[in-house]
Amino acid sequence: MSTATSSPAPRANGNASALLLLLKLRTFIALIVVTLFFALMAPNFVSVANAIIISKHVAINAILAIGMTYVILTGGIDLSVGSIVGLTGMVAGGLLAHGLQLPMLGIIVYPNVLEVVAIALLVGTAIGAINGLLVTKLGVAPFIATLGTLYVARGAALLLSGGSTFSNLVGKEELGNQGYPIIGSGNVLGIPVSIIILIVLALVAAYVAQRTPFGRKVYAVGGNERAAALSGVRVDRIKIAVYMISGFCAAVVGLIVSSQLVASHPASGETFELNAIAAAVLGGTSLSGGRGLIGGTIIGAFVIGVLSDGLVMMGVSEFWQMVIKGLVIIAAVVLDQLQRRLAANTRQ
Amino acid sequence: MSQVVFSAKGITKAFPGTLALQDVDFEVHAGAVNVLIGENGAGKSTLMKILAGVEQPTLGTMTMEGNSVRFDSIRDAASKGIGIVFQELNLCPNLSVTENIFLGREIAKAGIHIDRAAQTRRTTELIGRLEHDIDPSALVGDLMIGEQQIVEIAKALAEDARILIMDEPTSALSASEVEVLFKVIGELKRAGVAIIYISHRLEELIRIGDYFTVLRDGRLAATAARENVTIPWIIEKMLGSEEVVAKRPPAIQAGPPILSVDHLSLPGRGHALALDDLSVSFRPGEITAIYGLLGAGRTELFESLYGLRPNARGSVRLDGVELAGHSVNRRMKSGLLLVPEDRQRDGLVQNLSVGGNLGLASLRRFTRYFSISKAHEAPLLEQIIKQLHIKTASADAPITSLSGGNQQKVVIGKSLLTEPRVLLLDEPSRGIDIGAKAEVFSTMRDLADQGLCIVYTTSDLKETHAVADRILVMAYGRITADLRAEEASDEALVRASTLKPETALA
Amino acid sequence: MKFAKTIAALAVGAIASVSVTLPSVAQDLIVIITPSHDNPFFKAEADGAKAKAEELGYSTQVYSHDDDANKQNELIDTAIASGAKAIILDNAGADASVAAVQKAKDAGIPSFLIDREINATGVAVAQIVSNNYQGATLGAEAFVEAMGEAGNYVELVGKESDTNAGIRSSGYHDVIDQYPDMVMVAQQSANWSQTEAFTKMESILQANPDIKGVIAGNDTMAMGALAALEAAGRDDVIVVGFDGSNDVRDAILAGKVHATVLQPAYRQAQWAVELADKYLKEGSTGMEEKISMDCVLIDETNAGSLENFALAD
Repeated sequence: MSTATSSPAPRANGNASALLLLLKLRTFIALIVVTLFFALMAPNFVSVANAIIISKHVAINAILAIGMTYVILTGGIDLSVGSIVGLTGMVAGGLLAHGLQLPMLGIIVYPNVLEVVAIALLVGTAIGAINGLLVTKLGVAPFIATLGTLYVARGAALLLSGGSTFSNLVGKEELGNQGYPIIGSGNVLGIPVSIIILIVLALVAAYVAQRTPFGRKVYAVGGNERAAALSGVRVDRIKIAVYMISGFCAAVVGLIVSSQLVASHPASGETFELNAIAAAVLGGTSLSGGRGLIGGTIIGAFVIGVLSDGLVMMGVSEFWQMVIKGLVIIAAVVLDQLQRRLAANTRQ
Repeated sequence: MSQVVFSAKGITKAFPGTLALQDVDFEVHAGAVNVLIGENGAGKSTLMKILAGVEQPTLGTMTMEGNSVRFDSIRDAASKGIGIVFQELNLCPNLSVTENIFLGREIAKAGIHIDRAAQTRRTTELIGRLEHDIDPSALVGDLMIGEQQIVEIAKALAEDARILIMDEPTSALSASEVEVLFKVIGELKRAGVAIIYISHRLEELIRIGDYFTVLRDGRLAATAARENVTIPWIIEKMLGSEEVVAKRPPAIQAGPPILSVDHLSLPGRGHALALDDLSVSFRPGEITAIYGLLGAGRTELFESLYGLRPNARGSVRLDGVELAGHSVNRRMKSGLLLVPEDRQRDGLVQNLSVGGNLGLASLRRFTRYFSISKAHEAPLLEQIIKQLHIKTASADAPITSLSGGNQQKVVIGKSLLTEPRVLLLDEPSRGIDIGAKAEVFSTMRDLADQGLCIVYTTSDLKETHAVADRILVMAYGRITADLRAEEASDEALVRASTLKPETALA
Repeated sequence: MKFAKTIAALAVGAIASVSVTLPSVAQDLIVIITPSHDNPFFKAEADGAKAKAEELGYSTQVYSHDDDANKQNELIDTAIASGAKAIILDNAGADASVAAVQKAKDAGIPSFLIDREINATGVAVAQIVSNNYQGATLGAEAFVEAMGEAGNYVELVGKESDTNAGIRSSGYHDVIDQYPDMVMVAQQSANWSQTEAFTKMESILQANPDIKGVIAGNDTMAMGALAALEAAGRDDVIVVGFDGSNDVRDAILAGKVHATVLQPAYRQAQWAVELADKYLKEGSTGMEEKISMDCVLIDETNAGSLENFALAD
């Protein structure tokens, strides 16, 4: 029985397995096709500078999608990431612009940039933890729980400033809180900081998913929660952890976005969650859990990013951009189904 | 002598790889209880499904009142007067009694407007015929199990069933609910309805059965009328005589008890107790079989020991250490392991490889500095694959590429990698073929000889004798027999398995 | 049974909550409804109207419809139920809002529209709109002048489904297109959003590095474009916005943005309240229904006296 899979496939199956390989690599192929298309069609598309700009834009979605992939791998979903982007950006902006007000002591403390970053990351991670607790301890369906925190976090972001923007977040020398714009527009050896953050996070996330007990448990929980529990996996802890990872990633994005604009706007990050889900799905992550790779998600994010930037450079209207993006996502899911069916057939 | 309304002749049913039924004849008498009996896997369910139109026979003919019939679907069989009450109740808990009874064949005006009044009237009539006063508008989910059963029967009667199949109707019922059911059966008999009754509870069968048909390994073993039937006769016909697996004697002496259970109780469905003040202990180097019928409390016992039943009361000690309040994880670390019954649902993670599944419960053994070390993992996996003779292309092969028996060995292998001292196996031979069974049993003996304490459950009598040194019988959440394997007769085990609480041993 | 009970409980709850919202003070109520206050422009409208109404002795309730016509409809219902004397409204869509305003009129409540028109007359008592077209031509003239009447430029358009996005764009082009040496190399919608303007500007810069100017349909997009230009080290590009926000004011004072066009949101909302007051006391505003309010160009000469969409005299 087990030999059937290892024996060379008969002639008739040859075409099928070649097709299967193409389908497996579909996202990567899509990326190449899209890139080639714009290289021919869009002015100045092929250049190192443009590659860096596109990567910078992709970083925002890709970092969110990394966290999202972890959540989806356990069979969950995190709709709150866009709002966490807005809220953490506002927390950082508020701390830089107005400091931390301590009414009991009647003083205002201005944390330095590192402390601001730490606080914002903590806020994002904490909201993730709340999502995780709602999903595990209170048994709320992930879709509903994170839909709730989506509204709460967005509302909180608006409340922080009464709806207005914290602008000009460059800090003041006398307060010792300068340097915030480095996250969004700084460079190391010519590479923007946000791309470096993406590379580091992606490598760590891929390593954790593939090589650590935690990663293996994430896949197990998504594949068969009961079997995982009976094998001693503390399912609740794993789930809480993935939502915390997602919240952390969203906070990183919140910092990058507000730092790029040197301003934090409470509405920023709206619909980011959908782009993140789209990247994960394009990259081959199954919404029912247990299947997907960080690498696939990153490629998925690049397909979306190259597509939107290329269309802008070609001067295609916003309306068509939306239609095209939607069609690409649908095509990705259809191909995914095709691949699974084909894989099931060749196995028999 | 009552009249034969239905007869099946030479029924054969082939599934890929197995013959579930082979040349079986079955006659159904009107106004009588026709008992169908046999061990798990003897072919009862398949025969029943064929009669109800769920499955179609590969060979054979069926006649109803002299005319040849065939049923294309359960709907088709129902329209020809055959109703079925499934073991797992097939009702929608979110709908009312009336809505359930008329599900899929609503009384409707012009095909679209449901005539609620007519449906309610008919429901009241049907329930009344069964001597019950269940509110037709009550939600099925709010009813007790016994009442739900009545609704199932009413549903079958709503189509004027002349033959009513009941599959283990009493397995979920309390003693008083059983009495009500028997009364209903008496009513139906008087109304001329033929009842096909399937059950494991021999006392019950002797009490209400009129005609008996025994199946063994997919073949007809015997038929007889009530007056010629005794419990020993049934057991003999049911079991046959050949051995399943050659038995190997233990190589080592059993040690002092390692796992002891004192006064363990667990609330069950309704007012019954799933575990009723149960006390027992197990020894290393010994294999203990727990035999019992469906719902006897075997799985509940294992799950309580493993920490999956937080509302279990009583004491469980491993090596003298009280386990109450310990998580699954902690119990695993102290050396207690459960191999669950349903390996698809509870044992395997389909998206992981063979190796991924094997290592899942013991990741810490090959984790070095936060990451899984292939260098440490691979030899351990190789060793366990070799030890259990798991037939797989490699540790990286998908788990779905393995046969059922090999998948089961992976689940056992996963447990072994945690280096347990007590291994609880829930129905380890369920759903695997005879050769794989022998290998699994042989593995269990090897492990016991290495000093492990092995406990397994089975609902197959022959499998108790195949490997166990000691046999416990459970019924109604209690232990009703505790015997050395060599002194346990089949009859004693079967009797013990149906003992009601009033008469059970302490 | 259960269902009926639930409905009954809900109904009782709803009645109770309505009665709670009924004003207990004797002051006449003016309800102010604007789009989301996360845009400081609409916040300025609401603040202006509220301040003037309270100055004139009214109590106020301030709501935001978030550009959702359905929510606007519910808010009008709330206003009617609360017994409002007048409604100050920055509406959620020229066609979608007509029915809601008509409903208020039928309930005897006059509406005073600001900022955007509806596609009907005789329904609202007054419709005060900034002359977006006039404002756009002001901005475009300043832009052309700063560009020296020649060069490549980029236009960032607002949400394309929004009327003002189109009016401003046509105002820009009616001026700029008279100069044949002004070449538009890219036109993209950034949906009024700063983040979107930032990423789109970065991509456009890649495709068209040789640009001399950016003209944006509002200030948030101008700020997003500015951030992208600064990130690319381009401090030579002329940026013109629209709205007159504090951020752009600061950027003008710092020499980063050339000009913007002020819609006097604060003043306009105050004017609407004054008209409402007059109408309630005298039965007429004494003016035509449609009132156009001119926009003001803001550049380094007058930026210093701009604060929260109000230009100090």
